[in-house]
Amino acid sequence: MSRAVLILVVLLAISIALAVTFGSVSLDWNDETARMILLRLRLPRVLLAAAIGATLAVAGVTFQTLLRNPLADPFILGVSGGAACGAAVATALRLGRIPGLVPIVAFAGALLATAAVFLLARRRDHTDPVRLLISGLVLNAFFSAVILISFALSPQSDLTAALKWMMGTLFGATWTSVILVSSLLAVAMIVLAFVANDLRLLVFGEEDAKARGVDVERVKLIGFGAASIITGAAVAVSGIIGFVGLLVPHLIRLIWRRDFRLLLPLCALGGATLVVAADLVSRIVIRSTELPIGAFTAILGVPFFLSLLRRS
Amino acid sequence: MLDLRDVSYSYAGTRAVNAVNLAIGERQLVALAGPNGSGKSTLLKLIARVLAPQHGDITFEQKSLAGWHAKEYARRVGYLPQDPDPAFPMRAIEVVVSGRAPYLGRFAWESDRDWEEASRALAMCDATHLADRYLDEMSGGERKRVFLARVLAGTPRLILLDEPFTALDISHIQQFSALLRDVVDRTGCTVLFAAHDLNWAAAHSDRMLVMRNGALALDAPPHQVLQADVMKTMFGFDAETVAIGGKTWVVPRV
Repeated sequence: MSRAVLILVVLLAISIALAVTFGSVSLDWNDETARMILLRLRLPRVLLAAAIGATLAVAGVTFQTLLRNPLADPFILGVSGGAACGAAVATALRLGRIPGLVPIVAFAGALLATAAVFLLARRRDHTDPVRLLISGLVLNAFFSAVILISFALSPQSDLTAALKWMMGTLFGATWTSVILVSSLLAVAMIVLAFVANDLRLLVFGEEDAKARGVDVERVKLIGFGAASIITGAAVAVSGIIGFVGLLVPHLIRLIWRRDFRLLLPLCALGGATLVVAADLVSRIVIRSTELPIGAFTAILGVPFFLSLLRRS
Repeated sequence: MLDLRDVSYSYAGTRAVNAVNLAIGERQLVALAGPNGSGKSTLLKLIARVLAPQHGDITFEQKSLAGWHAKEYARRVGYLPQDPDPAFPMRAIEVVVSGRAPYLGRFAWESDRDWEEASRALAMCDATHLADRYLDEMSGGERKRVFLARVLAGTPRLILLDEPFTALDISHIQQFSALLRDVVDRTGCTVLFAAHDLNWAAAHSDRMLVMRNGALALDAPPHQVLQADVMKTMFGFDAETVAIGGKTWVVPRV
Protein backbone atom coordinates (compact mmCIF):
# COMPACT_ATOMS: atom_id res chain seq x y z
CA MET A 1 0.00 0.00 0.00
CA SER A 2 2.85 2.38 0.74
CA ARG A 3 4.13 1.34 -2.68
CA ALA A 4 0.90 2.62 -4.25
CA VAL A 5 1.37 5.99 -2.56
CA LEU A 6 5.00 6.11 -3.69
CA ILE A 7 4.16 5.30 -7.33
CA LEU A 8 1.50 7.99 -7.45
CA VAL A 9 3.71 10.60 -5.76
CA VAL A 10 6.43 9.95 -8.36
CA LEU A 11 3.90 10.15 -11.22
CA LEU A 12 2.52 13.41 -9.85
CA ALA A 13 6.02 14.87 -9.47
CA ILE A 14 6.90 13.92 -13.06
CA SER A 15 3.70 15.41 -14.48
CA ILE A 16 4.17 18.63 -12.47
CA ALA A 17 7.78 18.92 -13.68
CA LEU A 18 6.72 18.41 -17.29
CA ALA A 19 3.79 20.81 -16.98
CA VAL A 20 6.02 23.54 -15.56
CA THR A 21 8.68 23.00 -18.22
CA PHE A 22 6.52 22.93 -21.32
CA GLY A 23 4.22 25.64 -22.61
CA SER A 24 3.74 28.21 -25.33
CA VAL A 25 6.80 30.09 -24.04
CA SER A 26 9.94 28.04 -23.48
CA LEU A 27 11.74 28.71 -20.25
CA ASP A 28 14.95 30.52 -19.74
CA TRP A 29 15.74 31.29 -16.12
CA ASN A 30 17.96 34.23 -17.08
CA ASP A 31 15.17 35.92 -18.94
CA GLU A 32 13.10 38.28 -16.80
CA THR A 33 9.87 37.78 -18.77
CA ALA A 34 10.20 34.01 -18.76
CA ARG A 35 10.72 34.05 -15.00
CA MET A 36 7.57 36.17 -14.58
CA ILE A 37 5.59 33.76 -16.73
CA LEU A 38 6.81 30.85 -14.68
CA LEU A 39 6.09 32.33 -11.25
CA ARG A 40 2.96 34.34 -11.97
CA LEU A 41 1.24 32.19 -14.60
CA ARG A 42 2.52 28.70 -15.13
CA LEU A 43 3.35 27.57 -11.61
CA PRO A 44 0.04 28.67 -10.06
CA ARG A 45 -1.78 27.12 -13.00
CA VAL A 46 -0.06 23.76 -12.60
CA LEU A 47 -0.58 23.74 -8.84
CA LEU A 48 -4.22 24.73 -9.28
CA ALA A 49 -4.62 21.85 -11.73
CA ALA A 50 -3.23 19.49 -9.08
CA ALA A 51 -5.52 20.90 -6.36
CA ILE A 52 -8.61 20.78 -8.59
CA GLY A 53 -7.84 17.24 -9.74
CA ALA A 54 -7.32 16.04 -6.18
CA THR A 55 -10.51 17.78 -5.06
CA LEU A 56 -12.69 16.26 -7.78
CA ALA A 57 -11.32 12.76 -7.26
CA VAL A 58 -11.73 12.95 -3.47
CA ALA A 59 -15.28 14.26 -3.88
CA GLY A 60 -15.98 11.53 -6.44
CA VAL A 61 -14.84 8.64 -4.27
CA THR A 62 -16.76 10.09 -1.32
CA PHE A 63 -19.99 10.38 -3.33
CA GLN A 64 -19.58 6.86 -4.72
CA THR A 65 -19.07 5.44 -1.25
CA LEU A 66 -21.90 7.38 0.38
CA LEU A 67 -24.39 6.66 -2.40
CA ARG A 68 -23.10 3.08 -2.80
CA ASN A 69 -23.20 3.81 -6.50
CA PRO A 70 -20.27 3.32 -8.88
CA LEU A 71 -21.83 5.77 -11.34
CA ALA A 72 -21.82 8.68 -8.91
CA ASP A 73 -19.55 11.65 -9.61
CA PRO A 74 -19.05 14.97 -7.78
CA PHE A 75 -21.65 16.67 -9.97
CA ILE A 76 -24.40 14.11 -9.52
CA LEU A 77 -26.20 15.97 -6.71
CA GLY A 78 -26.55 19.22 -8.64
CA VAL A 79 -23.38 20.95 -7.43
CA SER A 80 -22.17 21.71 -10.96
CA GLY A 81 -25.64 22.62 -12.17
CA GLY A 82 -26.09 25.03 -9.28
CA ALA A 83 -22.69 26.61 -9.84
CA ALA A 84 -23.18 26.91 -13.61
CA CYS A 85 -26.63 28.35 -13.03
CA GLY A 86 -25.23 31.00 -10.69
CA ALA A 87 -22.49 31.90 -13.17
CA ALA A 88 -24.89 32.01 -16.13
CA VAL A 89 -27.42 34.20 -14.34
CA ALA A 90 -24.63 36.56 -13.24
CA THR A 91 -23.47 36.79 -16.87
CA ALA A 92 -27.01 37.47 -18.11
CA LEU A 93 -27.36 40.26 -15.56
CA ARG A 94 -24.20 41.88 -17.03
CA LEU A 95 -22.26 41.17 -13.84
CA GLY A 96 -19.69 38.97 -15.62
CA ARG A 97 -17.16 41.76 -15.95
CA ILE A 98 -16.89 42.53 -12.26
CA PRO A 99 -13.70 40.69 -11.27
CA GLY A 100 -14.12 37.84 -8.81
CA LEU A 101 -17.90 38.04 -8.75
CA VAL A 102 -18.71 35.09 -11.01
CA PRO A 103 -16.79 32.54 -8.86
CA ILE A 104 -18.51 33.80 -5.72
CA VAL A 105 -21.97 33.57 -7.28
CA ALA A 106 -21.08 30.14 -8.67
CA PHE A 107 -19.96 28.92 -5.25
CA ALA A 108 -23.18 30.23 -3.68
CA GLY A 109 -25.17 28.45 -6.43
CA ALA A 110 -23.35 25.18 -5.73
CA LEU A 111 -24.07 25.33 -2.00
CA LEU A 112 -27.71 26.33 -2.52
CA ALA A 113 -28.20 23.47 -4.97
CA THR A 114 -26.70 20.94 -2.53
CA ALA A 115 -28.86 22.22 0.32
CA ALA A 116 -31.96 22.03 -1.90
CA VAL A 117 -31.18 18.44 -2.97
CA PHE A 118 -30.76 17.45 0.67
CA LEU A 119 -33.97 19.06 1.83
CA LEU A 120 -35.86 17.36 -1.01
CA ALA A 121 -34.41 13.94 -0.17
CA ARG A 122 -34.84 14.09 3.59
CA ARG A 123 -37.73 12.20 5.12
CA ARG A 124 -38.25 11.69 8.84
CA ASP A 125 -34.58 12.11 9.90
CA HIS A 126 -33.43 9.83 7.11
CA THR A 127 -31.70 10.79 3.85
CA ASP A 128 -32.42 8.12 1.30
CA PRO A 129 -29.65 7.68 -1.33
CA VAL A 130 -32.13 6.95 -4.15
CA ARG A 131 -34.16 10.07 -3.35
CA LEU A 132 -30.90 12.04 -3.29
CA LEU A 133 -29.97 10.81 -6.77
CA ILE A 134 -33.40 11.57 -8.19
CA SER A 135 -33.52 15.02 -6.58
CA GLY A 136 -30.06 15.80 -8.00
CA LEU A 137 -31.10 14.62 -11.46
CA VAL A 138 -34.29 16.67 -11.52
CA LEU A 139 -32.60 19.79 -10.15
CA ASN A 140 -29.81 19.49 -12.74
CA ALA A 141 -32.44 19.40 -15.49
CA PHE A 142 -34.04 22.54 -14.05
CA PHE A 143 -30.65 24.29 -13.92
CA SER A 144 -29.98 23.41 -17.56
CA ALA A 145 -33.18 25.22 -18.49
CA VAL A 146 -32.20 28.32 -16.51
CA ILE A 147 -28.70 28.26 -18.04
CA LEU A 148 -30.10 28.10 -21.60
CA ILE A 149 -32.43 31.05 -20.95
CA SER A 150 -29.60 33.03 -19.32
CA PHE A 151 -27.35 32.43 -22.30
CA ALA A 152 -30.07 33.59 -24.69
CA LEU A 153 -30.34 36.84 -22.71
CA SER A 154 -26.58 37.38 -22.26
CA PRO A 155 -24.59 39.93 -24.29
CA GLN A 156 -22.77 38.22 -27.16
CA SER A 157 -19.40 39.49 -25.95
CA ASP A 158 -19.72 37.76 -22.56
CA LEU A 159 -20.78 34.40 -23.95
CA THR A 160 -17.31 33.16 -24.89
CA ALA A 161 -16.05 33.50 -21.33
CA ALA A 162 -19.18 31.84 -19.95
CA LEU A 163 -18.88 28.94 -22.41
CA LYS A 164 -15.19 28.46 -21.59
CA TRP A 165 -16.10 28.26 -17.95
CA MET A 166 -18.81 25.67 -18.66
CA MET A 167 -16.24 23.53 -20.46
CA GLY A 168 -13.79 23.91 -17.61
CA THR A 169 -10.64 26.00 -17.77
CA LEU A 170 -7.59 26.69 -15.66
CA PHE A 171 -6.85 29.88 -17.57
CA GLY A 172 -6.32 32.84 -15.26
CA ALA A 173 -5.18 30.75 -12.27
CA THR A 174 -3.82 32.89 -9.43
CA TRP A 175 -1.94 32.11 -6.24
CA THR A 176 -5.08 33.17 -4.35
CA SER A 177 -7.16 30.47 -6.04
CA VAL A 178 -4.41 27.88 -5.47
CA ILE A 179 -4.30 28.64 -1.74
CA LEU A 180 -8.10 28.78 -1.50
CA VAL A 181 -8.77 25.44 -3.19
CA SER A 182 -5.89 23.54 -1.59
CA SER A 183 -6.59 24.72 1.95
CA LEU A 184 -10.28 23.79 1.59
CA LEU A 185 -9.17 20.40 0.25
CA ALA A 186 -6.80 19.91 3.19
CA VAL A 187 -9.56 20.65 5.71
CA ALA A 188 -12.00 18.37 3.88
CA MET A 189 -9.50 15.51 3.80
CA ILE A 190 -8.87 15.81 7.54
CA VAL A 191 -12.62 15.82 8.16
CA LEU A 192 -13.09 12.79 5.88
CA ALA A 193 -10.22 10.98 7.59
CA PHE A 194 -12.20 11.35 10.83
CA VAL A 195 -15.08 9.36 9.38
CA ALA A 196 -13.08 7.13 7.01
CA ASN A 197 -13.46 4.07 9.21
CA ASP A 198 -17.22 4.59 9.25
CA LEU A 199 -17.46 5.41 5.55
CA ARG A 200 -15.89 2.15 4.47
CA LEU A 201 -18.51 0.25 6.49
CA LEU A 202 -21.26 2.07 4.60
CA VAL A 203 -20.23 0.05 1.53
CA PHE A 204 -22.16 -2.86 3.08
CA GLY A 205 -25.35 -0.83 3.38
CA GLU A 206 -26.77 1.53 5.95
CA GLU A 207 -28.45 -1.02 8.20
CA ASP A 208 -25.33 -3.13 8.33
CA ALA A 209 -23.20 -0.10 9.23
CA LYS A 210 -25.70 0.91 11.92
CA ALA A 211 -25.47 -2.52 13.50
CA ARG A 212 -21.66 -2.06 13.63
CA GLY A 213 -22.05 1.07 15.73
CA VAL A 214 -21.86 3.70 12.98
CA ASP A 215 -23.93 6.88 13.39
CA VAL A 216 -25.03 6.68 9.75
CA GLU A 217 -26.94 9.96 9.44
CA ARG A 218 -24.08 11.94 10.99
CA VAL A 219 -21.50 10.31 8.73
CA LYS A 220 -23.64 11.07 5.67
CA LEU A 221 -24.03 14.70 6.69
CA ILE A 222 -20.27 15.11 7.24
CA GLY A 223 -19.31 13.23 4.07
CA PHE A 224 -21.79 14.90 1.72
CA GLY A 225 -21.13 18.29 3.31
CA ALA A 226 -17.35 18.10 2.93
CA ALA A 227 -17.49 16.68 -0.60
CA SER A 228 -20.08 19.23 -1.77
CA ILE A 229 -18.22 22.25 -0.38
CA ILE A 230 -14.91 21.33 -2.03
CA THR A 231 -16.66 20.48 -5.30
CA GLY A 232 -18.42 23.85 -5.19
CA ALA A 233 -15.12 25.64 -4.67
CA ALA A 234 -13.41 23.69 -7.47
CA VAL A 235 -16.25 24.38 -9.91
CA ALA A 236 -16.39 28.07 -8.96
CA VAL A 237 -12.66 28.47 -9.68
CA SER A 238 -12.20 26.35 -12.79
CA GLY A 239 -15.60 25.52 -14.20
CA ILE A 240 -16.90 22.04 -14.90
CA ILE A 241 -14.04 19.61 -15.51
CA GLY A 242 -15.68 16.29 -16.18
CA PHE A 243 -14.61 12.64 -15.86
CA VAL A 244 -11.98 13.14 -13.13
CA GLY A 245 -14.37 12.53 -10.26
CA LEU A 246 -15.93 9.50 -11.93
CA LEU A 247 -12.86 7.99 -13.56
CA VAL A 248 -10.07 8.32 -11.00
CA PRO A 249 -11.76 6.41 -8.14
CA HIS A 250 -12.48 3.56 -10.58
CA LEU A 251 -8.92 3.57 -11.92
CA ILE A 252 -7.52 3.40 -8.39
CA ARG A 253 -9.98 0.68 -7.42
CA LEU A 254 -9.14 -1.38 -10.50
CA ILE A 255 -5.42 -1.21 -9.77
CA TRP A 256 -5.33 -1.47 -5.98
CA ARG A 257 -8.83 -2.53 -4.86
CA ARG A 258 -8.65 -1.01 -1.41
CA ASP A 259 -11.17 0.27 1.09
CA PHE A 260 -12.09 3.89 1.59
CA ARG A 261 -9.33 4.71 4.07
CA LEU A 262 -6.63 4.17 1.42
CA LEU A 263 -8.73 5.22 -1.55
CA LEU A 264 -8.94 8.73 -0.13
CA PRO A 265 -5.21 9.66 -0.39
CA LEU A 266 -4.70 7.53 -3.52
CA CYS A 267 -7.56 9.27 -5.33
CA ALA A 268 -6.21 12.68 -4.32
CA LEU A 269 -2.83 11.84 -5.86
CA GLY A 270 -4.33 10.17 -8.95
CA GLY A 271 -6.76 13.02 -9.60
CA ALA A 272 -4.00 15.61 -9.26
CA THR A 273 -1.79 13.71 -11.72
CA LEU A 274 -4.54 13.30 -14.31
CA VAL A 275 -5.60 16.96 -14.33
CA VAL A 276 -2.02 18.27 -14.41
CA ALA A 277 -1.30 16.01 -17.39
CA ALA A 278 -4.58 16.87 -19.13
CA ASP A 279 -3.95 20.59 -18.66
CA LEU A 280 -0.45 20.27 -20.11
CA VAL A 281 -1.76 18.49 -23.20
CA SER A 282 -4.63 20.95 -23.65
CA ARG A 283 -2.12 23.82 -23.61
CA ILE A 284 0.48 22.44 -26.00
CA VAL A 285 -1.39 20.26 -28.49
CA ILE A 286 -2.25 23.26 -30.64
CA ARG A 287 0.00 26.29 -30.44
CA SER A 288 -1.61 29.63 -29.64
CA THR A 289 -4.91 28.19 -28.47
CA GLU A 290 -6.17 26.22 -25.50
CA LEU A 291 -8.48 23.27 -25.94
CA PRO A 292 -11.03 22.40 -23.22
CA ILE A 293 -9.27 20.55 -20.40
CA GLY A 294 -12.39 18.49 -19.62
CA ALA A 295 -11.99 16.86 -23.02
CA PHE A 296 -8.41 15.83 -22.25
CA THR A 297 -9.16 14.35 -18.82
CA ALA A 298 -11.43 12.00 -20.77
CA ILE A 299 -9.08 11.50 -23.72
CA LEU A 300 -6.20 10.57 -21.40
CA GLY A 301 -8.27 8.70 -18.84
CA VAL A 302 -10.71 6.65 -20.89
CA PRO A 303 -8.25 4.45 -22.88
CA PHE A 304 -6.31 3.70 -19.70
CA PHE A 305 -9.53 2.87 -17.91
CA LEU A 306 -10.82 0.63 -20.72
CA SER A 307 -7.57 -1.34 -20.92
CA LEU A 308 -7.70 -1.95 -17.16
CA LEU A 309 -11.34 -2.95 -17.37
CA ARG A 310 -10.58 -5.49 -20.09
CA ARG A 311 -7.76 -7.00 -18.09
CA SER A 312 -9.63 -7.31 -14.75
CA MET B 1 -28.89 -11.65 28.71
CA LEU B 2 -31.61 -10.16 26.48
CA ASP B 3 -34.99 -8.88 27.66
CA LEU B 4 -37.79 -7.41 25.58
CA ARG B 5 -40.68 -5.78 27.42
CA ASP B 6 -43.80 -4.84 25.52
CA VAL B 7 -41.81 -3.89 22.40
CA SER B 8 -43.69 -2.43 19.42
CA TYR B 9 -42.66 -0.90 16.11
CA SER B 10 -44.69 0.47 13.17
CA TYR B 11 -43.69 1.49 9.66
CA ALA B 12 -45.84 4.47 8.61
CA GLY B 13 -48.95 3.19 10.33
CA THR B 14 -48.59 -0.57 9.80
CA ARG B 15 -47.60 -2.33 12.95
CA ALA B 16 -44.70 -4.71 12.25
CA VAL B 17 -43.89 -5.75 15.80
CA ASN B 18 -46.67 -5.73 18.36
CA ALA B 19 -46.14 -5.83 22.14
CA VAL B 20 -43.46 -8.52 22.19
CA ASN B 21 -42.25 -9.83 25.54
CA LEU B 22 -39.23 -12.11 25.41
CA ALA B 23 -36.27 -13.19 27.52
CA ILE B 24 -33.27 -15.04 26.06
CA GLY B 25 -30.40 -16.44 28.11
CA GLU B 26 -26.81 -17.47 27.42
CA ARG B 27 -25.62 -20.38 25.31
CA GLN B 28 -28.83 -20.95 23.37
CA LEU B 29 -29.64 -21.61 19.74
CA VAL B 30 -32.99 -19.95 19.15
CA ALA B 31 -34.94 -20.16 15.88
CA LEU B 32 -37.35 -17.43 14.87
CA ALA B 33 -40.11 -18.61 12.53
CA GLY B 34 -43.29 -17.13 11.12
CA PRO B 35 -44.99 -16.44 7.79
CA ASN B 36 -43.83 -13.67 5.45
CA GLY B 37 -44.39 -10.23 6.94
CA SER B 38 -44.91 -11.54 10.45
CA GLY B 39 -42.26 -9.19 11.87
CA LYS B 40 -39.18 -11.44 12.14
CA SER B 41 -36.78 -9.09 10.38
CA THR B 42 -38.09 -6.05 12.22
CA LEU B 43 -37.66 -7.81 15.55
CA LEU B 44 -34.04 -8.66 14.70
CA LYS B 45 -33.38 -5.07 13.60
CA LEU B 46 -34.80 -3.79 16.88
CA ILE B 47 -32.48 -6.06 18.85
CA ALA B 48 -29.54 -5.14 16.57
CA ARG B 49 -30.19 -1.45 17.34
CA VAL B 50 -30.77 -0.72 13.65
CA LEU B 51 -34.27 0.44 14.61
CA ALA B 52 -35.34 1.91 17.94
CA PRO B 53 -38.56 0.59 19.55
CA GLN B 54 -41.43 3.08 19.52
CA HIS B 55 -42.97 1.45 22.58
CA GLY B 56 -41.54 -0.73 25.28
CA ASP B 57 -37.94 -1.36 26.18
CA ILE B 58 -35.14 -3.74 25.21
CA THR B 59 -32.38 -4.46 27.72
CA PHE B 60 -29.14 -6.30 27.03
CA GLU B 61 -27.07 -7.37 30.03
CA GLN B 62 -29.38 -5.40 32.33
CA LYS B 63 -28.86 -2.15 30.42
CA SER B 64 -31.41 -0.50 28.12
CA LEU B 65 -30.33 -0.42 24.45
CA ALA B 66 -30.61 3.37 24.33
CA GLY B 67 -28.07 3.53 27.17
CA TRP B 68 -25.46 1.42 25.37
CA HIS B 69 -22.62 3.14 23.56
CA ALA B 70 -23.04 2.18 19.88
CA LYS B 71 -19.57 0.63 19.44
CA GLU B 72 -19.66 -1.13 22.82
CA TYR B 73 -22.97 -2.70 21.84
CA ALA B 74 -21.67 -3.65 18.40
CA ARG B 75 -18.81 -5.58 20.05
CA ARG B 76 -21.30 -7.71 21.96
CA VAL B 77 -24.08 -8.12 19.43
CA GLY B 78 -23.39 -9.20 15.84
CA TYR B 79 -26.06 -8.84 13.16
CA LEU B 80 -26.22 -10.36 9.69
CA PRO B 81 -28.85 -8.70 7.46
CA GLN B 82 -30.82 -10.74 4.95
CA ASP B 83 -28.73 -10.01 1.89
CA PRO B 84 -25.60 -7.98 2.60
CA ASP B 85 -23.97 -6.82 -0.60
CA PRO B 86 -20.91 -4.56 -0.70
CA ALA B 87 -21.24 -1.98 -3.47
CA PHE B 88 -17.65 -2.51 -4.64
CA PRO B 89 -15.58 -5.68 -5.14
CA MET B 90 -13.94 -7.01 -1.97
CA ARG B 91 -11.90 -10.04 -0.96
CA ALA B 92 -13.38 -12.41 1.60
CA ILE B 93 -10.71 -11.73 4.20
CA GLU B 94 -11.33 -7.97 3.91
CA VAL B 95 -15.03 -8.54 4.41
CA VAL B 96 -14.35 -10.68 7.47
CA VAL B 97 -11.85 -8.29 9.06
CA SER B 98 -14.37 -5.46 8.70
CA GLY B 99 -16.29 -7.34 11.41
CA ARG B 100 -13.58 -6.07 13.78
CA ALA B 101 -14.60 -2.46 13.10
CA PRO B 102 -16.25 -1.90 16.53
CA TYR B 103 -12.84 -2.53 18.12
CA LEU B 104 -10.94 -0.02 15.98
CA GLY B 105 -10.09 3.49 17.09
CA ARG B 106 -11.00 6.41 14.87
CA PHE B 107 -7.76 6.50 12.88
CA ALA B 108 -6.60 2.95 13.60
CA TRP B 109 -5.88 0.20 11.12
CA GLU B 110 -6.54 -3.45 11.86
CA SER B 111 -3.89 -4.93 14.15
CA ASP B 112 -2.32 -8.40 13.87
CA ARG B 113 -4.84 -9.52 16.46
CA ASP B 114 -7.71 -8.37 14.23
CA TRP B 115 -6.36 -10.31 11.24
CA GLU B 116 -5.88 -13.37 13.46
CA GLU B 117 -9.49 -13.17 14.65
CA ALA B 118 -10.60 -12.87 11.04
CA SER B 119 -8.63 -15.96 9.97
CA ARG B 120 -9.89 -17.88 12.97
CA ALA B 121 -13.49 -16.96 12.12
CA LEU B 122 -13.00 -18.02 8.51
CA ALA B 123 -11.55 -21.36 9.68
CA MET B 124 -14.52 -21.87 11.99
CA CYS B 125 -16.88 -21.45 9.03
CA ASP B 126 -14.77 -23.87 6.98
CA ALA B 127 -13.92 -21.07 4.57
CA THR B 128 -10.16 -20.58 4.93
CA HIS B 129 -9.67 -21.47 1.28
CA LEU B 130 -11.92 -18.55 0.28
CA ALA B 131 -9.82 -15.88 2.04
CA ASP B 132 -8.32 -14.29 -1.07
CA ARG B 133 -11.26 -14.83 -3.40
CA TYR B 134 -13.50 -11.97 -4.43
CA LEU B 135 -17.02 -11.97 -3.11
CA ASP B 136 -18.61 -11.51 -6.52
CA GLU B 137 -16.90 -14.69 -7.75
CA MET B 138 -18.46 -16.87 -5.05
CA SER B 139 -21.58 -19.00 -4.86
CA GLY B 140 -24.43 -18.04 -2.54
CA GLY B 141 -23.36 -20.64 0.00
CA GLU B 142 -19.75 -19.45 0.07
CA ARG B 143 -20.86 -15.86 0.55
CA LYS B 144 -23.08 -16.85 3.47
CA ARG B 145 -20.15 -18.54 5.16
CA VAL B 146 -17.95 -15.47 4.64
CA PHE B 147 -20.59 -13.19 6.13
CA LEU B 148 -21.13 -15.50 9.10
CA ALA B 149 -17.36 -15.41 9.62
CA ARG B 150 -17.56 -11.61 9.52
CA VAL B 151 -20.05 -11.67 12.38
CA LEU B 152 -17.97 -14.21 14.32
CA ALA B 153 -14.79 -12.15 13.88
CA GLY B 154 -16.32 -9.55 16.19
CA THR B 155 -16.55 -12.26 18.93
CA PRO B 156 -20.10 -11.22 19.90
CA ARG B 157 -22.04 -12.66 22.84
CA LEU B 158 -25.28 -12.51 20.88
CA ILE B 159 -25.55 -13.26 17.16
CA LEU B 160 -28.59 -12.23 15.11
CA LEU B 161 -28.99 -13.82 11.69
CA ASP B 162 -31.75 -12.85 9.29
CA GLU B 163 -32.61 -15.87 7.14
CA PRO B 164 -29.12 -17.36 6.87
CA PHE B 165 -30.44 -20.39 4.95
CA THR B 166 -31.88 -18.61 1.92
CA ALA B 167 -29.91 -19.18 -1.30
CA LEU B 168 -28.37 -22.33 0.16
CA ASP B 169 -28.87 -25.81 -1.28
CA ILE B 170 -29.83 -28.62 1.07
CA SER B 171 -26.31 -29.87 1.70
CA HIS B 172 -25.20 -26.35 2.63
CA ILE B 173 -28.23 -25.85 4.87
CA GLN B 174 -27.29 -29.10 6.55
CA GLN B 175 -23.73 -27.87 7.10
CA PHE B 176 -24.76 -24.38 8.06
CA SER B 177 -27.31 -25.36 10.68
CA ALA B 178 -24.82 -27.78 12.27
CA LEU B 179 -22.29 -24.95 12.19
CA LEU B 180 -24.64 -22.70 14.17
CA ARG B 181 -25.01 -25.40 16.83
CA ASP B 182 -21.24 -25.76 16.88
CA VAL B 183 -20.72 -21.99 17.30
CA VAL B 184 -23.07 -21.92 20.28
CA ASP B 185 -21.45 -24.94 21.92
CA ARG B 186 -17.87 -23.82 21.30
CA THR B 187 -18.08 -20.10 22.04
CA GLY B 188 -20.91 -20.10 24.58
CA CYS B 189 -22.68 -17.28 22.75
CA THR B 190 -26.37 -17.16 21.91
CA VAL B 191 -27.61 -17.30 18.33
CA LEU B 192 -31.03 -16.02 17.31
CA PHE B 193 -31.80 -16.76 13.65
CA ALA B 194 -34.84 -16.27 11.44
CA ALA B 195 -35.71 -19.12 9.07
CA HIS B 196 -38.55 -20.20 6.83
CA ASP B 197 -37.76 -23.89 6.59
CA LEU B 198 -39.30 -25.14 9.82
CA ASN B 199 -37.57 -28.52 9.86
CA TRP B 200 -34.17 -26.89 9.57
CA ALA B 201 -35.12 -24.15 12.01
CA ALA B 202 -35.94 -26.84 14.51
CA ALA B 203 -33.14 -29.29 13.69
CA HIS B 204 -30.48 -28.20 16.18
CA SER B 205 -32.31 -25.47 18.09
CA ASP B 206 -32.97 -25.33 21.82
CA ARG B 207 -36.00 -23.19 21.39
CA MET B 208 -38.37 -21.90 18.73
CA LEU B 209 -40.20 -18.59 18.56
CA VAL B 210 -43.13 -18.22 16.19
CA MET B 211 -44.32 -14.78 15.14
CA ARG B 212 -47.68 -13.99 13.66
CA ASN B 213 -48.95 -10.51 12.66
CA GLY B 214 -46.15 -8.87 14.62
CA ALA B 215 -46.91 -10.67 17.86
CA LEU B 216 -44.95 -13.47 19.48
CA ALA B 217 -47.53 -16.23 19.07
CA LEU B 218 -45.57 -19.20 20.39
CA ASP B 219 -42.41 -19.78 22.38
CA ALA B 220 -41.66 -23.46 22.89
CA PRO B 221 -39.16 -26.31 22.40
CA PRO B 222 -38.96 -27.39 18.72
CA HIS B 223 -40.86 -30.65 19.14
CA GLN B 224 -43.86 -28.77 20.47
CA VAL B 225 -43.85 -26.43 17.48
CA LEU B 226 -43.54 -29.15 14.83
CA GLN B 227 -47.13 -30.30 15.24
CA ALA B 228 -49.86 -30.57 12.63
CA ASP B 229 -52.29 -28.31 14.54
CA VAL B 230 -49.61 -25.63 15.06
CA MET B 231 -48.82 -25.64 11.33
CA LYS B 232 -52.50 -25.16 10.55
CA THR B 233 -53.16 -22.33 13.04
CA MET B 234 -49.82 -20.51 12.85
CA PHE B 235 -48.69 -21.04 9.28
CA GLY B 236 -51.96 -21.86 7.55
CA PHE B 237 -51.09 -25.14 5.85
CA ASP B 238 -52.16 -28.75 6.30
CA ALA B 239 -49.31 -30.93 7.50
CA GLU B 240 -48.46 -34.36 8.76
CA THR B 241 -45.70 -35.19 11.18
CA VAL B 242 -43.17 -37.96 10.81
CA ALA B 243 -40.94 -39.23 13.59
CA ILE B 244 -37.49 -40.40 12.52
CA GLY B 245 -34.70 -41.26 14.95
CA GLY B 246 -36.28 -39.46 17.87
CA LYS B 247 -36.86 -36.26 15.87
CA THR B 248 -40.14 -34.95 14.56
CA TRP B 249 -40.44 -33.60 11.03
CA VAL B 250 -43.35 -31.80 9.45
CA VAL B 251 -44.30 -32.60 5.88
CA PRO B 252 -46.84 -30.47 4.02
CA ARG B 253 -49.79 -32.46 2.74
CA VAL B 254 -49.82 -32.49 -1.04
